[in-house]
Amino acid sequence: MTGPRRLSIPRRVAVKAADAGVPELVDGREVDTVRESWLVEDRWWTDRPLRRRYWEVVTTCGRDEVVFHDLESGRWWRQR
Amino acid sequence: MIVCILLPRFQLTVAATGAGAARDALLQRPVALAPEPGGSQVVGEVSLAAEAFGVHPGMRLGEALARCPRLTLLPGDPAGVSDSWERLLVRLESIGAAVEPERPGLVCFDVRGLLRLHGGIEGVLAAARRALRTPARFGVAPSRFAAVAAASQARTRRPVIVGDQTMPARDGRARIADGRARIADGRARIAEGRARIADGRARARAFLAPLPVALLRARPALADLPEALERLGIRTLGELASLPPTAIADRFGAAGLHAFELANGGDGALRPRGASEVVRESLELPEAASGVQLERGLGLLIDRVLARRERRGRTLRSVVLSAVLVEHGGTWREQVAFREALADPVRMRLALVSRLQLMPAPAEELRLAVERFGPPASDQRALLEDPADARSARLREAIRQTRAAAGSEAALRVLTVDPESRFPERRAMLAPFEG
Repeated sequence: MTGPRRLSIPRRVAVKAADAGVPELVDGREVDTVRESWLVEDRWWTDRPLRRRYWEVVTTCGRDEVVFHDLESGRWWRQR
Repeated sequence: MIVCILLPRFQLTVAATGAGAARDALLQRPVALAPEPGGSQVVGEVSLAAEAFGVHPGMRLGEALARCPRLTLLPGDPAGVSDSWERLLVRLESIGAAVEPERPGLVCFDVRGLLRLHGGIEGVLAAARRALRTPARFGVAPSRFAAVAAASQARTRRPVIVGDQTMPARDGRARIADGRARIADGRARIAEGRARIADGRARARAFLAPLPVALLRARPALADLPEALERLGIRTLGELASLPPTAIADRFGAAGLHAFELANGGDGALRPRGASEVVRESLELPEAASGVQLERGLGLLIDRVLARRERRGRTLRSVVLSAVLVEHGGTWREQVAFREALADPVRMRLALVSRLQLMPAPAEELRLAVERFGPPASDQRALLEDPADARSARLREAIRQTRAAAGSEAALRVLTVDPESRFPERRAMLAPFEG
């Protein structure tokens, strides 16, 4: 092995969100239900703080997705 | 003849290089190495500007700041110092020198065997200078102590050579005649060798005579002796060498006799280090890690070191555990010698986990390097074969064959690193599977 390999690494995803930040489209699939949402903050004492708003949503095609909005960079990521 | 190479303020220079600011500009200001976390509150190496304020290495922190309120304290970088020093030693070994490192920034080697290879002492020094690729001071003398003293007197471009024994060039016939004469009379050769040793000691003694007894502080066993000698009015090594040895032994015991021997141009033989192999693994911790997470990371590093092909089934005698601390807090380094040579990851982990608690701050990167290997791990068969062992052996063989067919990443296992983390990517990693 050349180096340690992490599991569950976040991957970029295209999300269209409403004004309140609630996801409406995930990878082009319409969101049917928001199951849960939570906020995680860490490393706030460093130059690279982590602030994420997680959303667990169910799309109209039945997929359960966990996505988060990086509140520092403004990007959306998918994570399992 | 012994060559001593001195790199003044080596640890401070490495720490300044790692501090991120312009190194040269930083070292022109009053700078000192901060006390080690958890250690005594004394400063380490200091810059020339700090010395001008009367600050010197080993001074209490409060006194140093009182003497120089503008003193900048740099956190030490023991892991960086170790890495840089090892690189320089390997470069010296590349010219054929069997080096004995005394401390980071000070190394000695014997020039015997190198003189003809590089064309005399000057050639050896030129080769060492080219290999080092960094400014250094060179001292050459018949004894190690005198060589260290010579290096401390030298300048970067002007080495100090005490008693150059370079033989004058002779034509071939003269050399043949000389050789025949030597063969004919072995006793003359022995006498000549003894005379040379005595001559070397005399030259070293003459060189050391005007130098202060404070030079004895370079030897840890003699660190307290110069102060007592100065109280008695003995200020130079020449004055020490002229005293009767019985009186020195009566007053200072074995330490006094050792100092007397050094002042007279004698010293113990060099003990060059063995050839080293670099087997090192590191793990970046994108989020500052401590506690359970760090222990898991250590387990992963142990597995990776044991899986290295260069180990060739050998056990590990001693390892170096080091870390890069968060927020430019410098580095931390701990050498661990096992009670017995080990190849068992569980026992290694038990021995190393307790050392992690000595770390003064969370880590950004954790490293594990093998310092010395032990004998190959013996795999003795039991009288009655244990089914569990047999299954384990079959599993190991299966993994070996799988890796041989599909590469080193064919058999991995999921290692739980921080199962309680709120960030999923921190919870688990993939590590080599050890059967």
